[in-house]
Amino acid sequence: MTTTACDVLIVGGGPAGLSAAARLAAAGLAVTLVDEQPELGGQYYRSPSPAVLREHGDHRPEGGRLVARVRSLGVDCRTGHLVWGVDDDGRTLLGTGPDGSPVRLRGRHVIVATGAYERTHPFPGWQLPSVTTPGFAQHLAAADGTSPGRRVLVAGSGPFLLPVACSLLAAGADVVGVAEAGHPYRPSLRAATALRHPARLRELAGYAARLARARVPLWQGRVVSRASGADRVSSATLAATADPGRPLRTVDVDALCVGYGFRPQTDLARLLGCEIRADAVTGDAEPVTDAFGRTSRPGVYVAGEAAGVGGVHRALVRGATAAAHILLREGSPAAPGPREIARLAARGRALTRFTALSDALYPSQAELRKALAATLDDDTIVCRCEAVTAAAVRSAAAERAGGDLNAAKSWSRAGMGPCQGRFCGFAVAGLVRDAAGDAADGAARCGVPVFPARQPIRPVPVETLLALGEQDGGDG
Amino acid sequence: MSALTADVVVIGAGVLGGAAAFHLARGGHRVIVLDRGAPGREGSGTTAGNLHVQAVHTRRPGQEVPLDSARFLPLQRAASDRWNSVEAELETSVELRRSGGFTIAETPEQRAELIAKHAWEDRAGIRTEVLDGDGARAALPLLGPTVTAATWCPLDGYANPLLTTPAYLAAAVRHGARLHPFCPVRAVERSGSGWRVTAGDLTVEAPHVVDVAGPWLGEIAALAGIGLRMTPVAIQMHVTVRLPETLRHLVQHIGEGLSVKQVTAGNLLIGGGWPALRLEPDGRSPVSLSSVLGNVAQAARVLPFVRDLRLLRTWAGPLAATPDEMPVIGEVPGAPGFLVAGGTYAFTFAPLWGETLRCLVEGKPTPVDIRDLGPDRLLEPAAPAAPYEEAR
Ligand SMILES: Cc1cc2nc3c(=O)[nH]c(=O)nc-3n(C[C@H](O)[C@H](O)[C@H](O)COP(=O)(O)OP(=O)(O)OC[C@H]3O[C@@H](n4cnc5c(N)ncnc54)[C@H](O)[C@@H]3O)c2cc1C
Ligand SMILES: Cc1cc2nc3c(=O)[nH]c(=O)nc-3n(C[C@H](O)[C@H](O)[C@H](O)COP(=O)(O)OP(=O)(O)OC[C@H]3O[C@@H](n4cnc5c(N)ncnc54)[C@H](O)[C@@H]3O)c2cc1C
Repeated sequence: MTTTACDVLIVGGGPAGLSAAARLAAAGLAVTLVDEQPELGGQYYRSPSPAVLREHGDHRPEGGRLVARVRSLGVDCRTGHLVWGVDDDGRTLLGTGPDGSPVRLRGRHVIVATGAYERTHPFPGWQLPSVTTPGFAQHLAAADGTSPGRRVLVAGSGPFLLPVACSLLAAGADVVGVAEAGHPYRPSLRAATALRHPARLRELAGYAARLARARVPLWQGRVVSRASGADRVSSATLAATADPGRPLRTVDVDALCVGYGFRPQTDLARLLGCEIRADAVTGDAEPVTDAFGRTSRPGVYVAGEAAGVGGVHRALVRGATAAAHILLREGSPAAPGPREIARLAARGRALTRFTALSDALYPSQAELRKALAATLDDDTIVCRCEAVTAAAVRSAAAERAGGDLNAAKSWSRAGMGPCQGRFCGFAVAGLVRDAAGDAADGAARCGVPVFPARQPIRPVPVETLLALGEQDGGDG
Repeated sequence: MSALTADVVVIGAGVLGGAAAFHLARGGHRVIVLDRGAPGREGSGTTAGNLHVQAVHTRRPGQEVPLDSARFLPLQRAASDRWNSVEAELETSVELRRSGGFTIAETPEQRAELIAKHAWEDRAGIRTEVLDGDGARAALPLLGPTVTAATWCPLDGYANPLLTTPAYLAAAVRHGARLHPFCPVRAVERSGSGWRVTAGDLTVEAPHVVDVAGPWLGEIAALAGIGLRMTPVAIQMHVTVRLPETLRHLVQHIGEGLSVKQVTAGNLLIGGGWPALRLEPDGRSPVSLSSVLGNVAQAARVLPFVRDLRLLRTWAGPLAATPDEMPVIGEVPGAPGFLVAGGTYAFTFAPLWGETLRCLVEGKPTPVDIRDLGPDRLLEPAAPAAPYEEAR
């Protein structure tokens, strides 16, 4: 039988999954940790390539230490394993190993720590080659020490843009500017540095100083409204966030990185049947969780950014908190006492407040989306996989789908391509809501702003399915 | 509360509702179409979209009785002919494609069944050709070694369901029909010699009601005090990533539920009626992994190139089945003006049933003989607690 059974099954080896694994394994529970990447660490502790390590060293050594601790505690680490589905019992997870072999994974408790997706907004020209997301650029820079282009503009919103620009500089790129949709960096940043949790803001100030030294202009209140170019991007047009329809200046580039932060990756939680709701501030679909990360499904926890975007420190605490609750449930001698519980809870609350505070420095995602969508040309491609235009989504939503996101999807094909809506989903959901706003109580019908989760979460080789079926046959 | 009048109230905006509304509105009738949700999202938005012209596989997995192929085939023949004019009538492309299909056999019994089926097809005027295994592989080299025989039918085809229902509804609206999505029907009662239908905050009075609510056809009938034996189920579909044009034809299996074809966008669609985990009458039915594995394994056995593909997604859709697996269409005895249509292979039959429903409303002869397909065979005592009781 190829079902792996354990006490706790954790999907996602980023900060949240790792911190949960360490706490649980230290208490003696049998833990299996699955991650589709070849190395543990997730987004934040992603390990650089050996060449980059030799040259620049590890910029986040605490990540390597956490991974080493998890391994030394005997956690069954399954890297290169993609979890793509849920079995008919609604509980056993289905995965594919690095060689394509199928696995069934079962834990008495399950922690979903699948992290976040980058948030993109469509704009004319975003389908051109060399237009990427900041995360992709950061990945190139951190893992391989390269940049997506020579002259690069970094744009969008959120604290993440600054370290990306710094990484690109370090990789030898000419960063022609950073365009931030809000006005977070003056003078409020200095004021906010005095807050109770200054480390992260001080870190940001450090990045800003670094960019200033390299004479990289930091434009605030600006968004990319268009990318132009023949066979790849050659220029980017900037506009005021408040008036994205009116171009202000054009910048020559050969790569453009645009992203508006992150949104939770909830596919697996939703496949497991966890209840989700729309977050009023971000407009995102988030699993409904309590302070411990418990979901509506007994024994299923969501931790880290999969439960709501909040940065690495919050992800670490959320992972540890879910682990603490599992130890309580297990009646483990290593279960946290009331003092530790109170401490974790207080830390969680403080980080939540801090997230809210630092989020407040940046424009509200829901408002930003609405502003950007309002000026989107009808002929802008919204779903790149299927080449669906804004007009097609708008007319499907307003005329026939009556604000129903799934109907808009089937009437327009937006979100039906290879990425299954991972890139366009947020924008399509927003366009549908805007278009339906005009139809009577249409907006109410949009429900949760996300396409339904479907198996497989990512495309799975038919060979894997055949092998899984043969196993079942063999088991009688 | 607004009260409307119409000639016909169509309940359900699936492909049958769309086709009925189109034919009726084009015929000059005042038509109101009601749907509880967004149009074309249920059976008609999840269907495989095959135009089945040669005999269909007689046993969907889990299906209790085989359908009566000898009786069914003349209907398929008529439905096939009717599709020829659909794109011209709707003034748009629905990606209609008649590139023919193979039905394959593996075992000796299936081979015998294939030959019997060929004889029925002959009688119904459907041209098919029987090939042995090597002949089949010569005609379609993609077929695998387990195939021992196949019938080829040049009329089998496909239309894109995500275009077809919208096109019918749009054409109906052009001809004056009024479409009310998100308008769930709550009551259906007699009013004088006609009917009063309450849906959302609308009330519509009309001499005719057309119940084409798919899997909920029985529920709507029950509102009108009519008990109909229906057996709704949910079945699933499996689709691979896109590939270059590889498979021009529809491939089906005579003994097991299997249908495979490549759609215009390039994806391979694998179906055949494998059951979903359960039917979720109020929402999305969840797929069953064992059906995924069974259906995909069959496809890879019959068409070995499938092994090298990747599965992109799966979904399940609801289906209105009758206990005898035959379509139901006609007026309910004792309920003048109350017409029903639905059941097996309603996508293939939509153009034919749309026109047939218009003829029924007009009291004219129908394009095919439907006397034995009426709802009388499904009648049973209505559930006593139906809301209509108090309304009377
Ligand atoms: C490039 C980059 C730079 C960042 N810089 C900062 C920063 O400077 N400061 C800060 O506070 N935050 C930063 N963040 C955010 C920070 O990385 C996250 O807050 C943190 O990583 C969240 O941890 P997590 O464990 O929730 O998710 P992640 O670290 O995203 O880990 C999720 C893991 O789940 C795995 N996974 C997902 N789905 C599946 C599946 N179906 N099957 C198997 N495995 C799966 C992924 O491979 C991944 O390893 C940055 C993010 C990125 C992308
Ligand atoms: C996965 C799958 C594959 C299939 N493959 C094929 C195929 O290849 N070829 C083929 O010919 N057939 C196929 N079928 C069958 C065929 O597609 C469907 O039977 C057909 O589309 C049904 O159309 P319909 O209009 O009868 O019902 P539906 O499309 O189900 O529409 C019924 C409508 O009634 C509405 N409704 C329900 N209750 C109410 C209420 N109270 N008030 C108002 N409205 C209401 C619903 O919202 C719905 O829109 C398949 C079916 C499925 C599910």
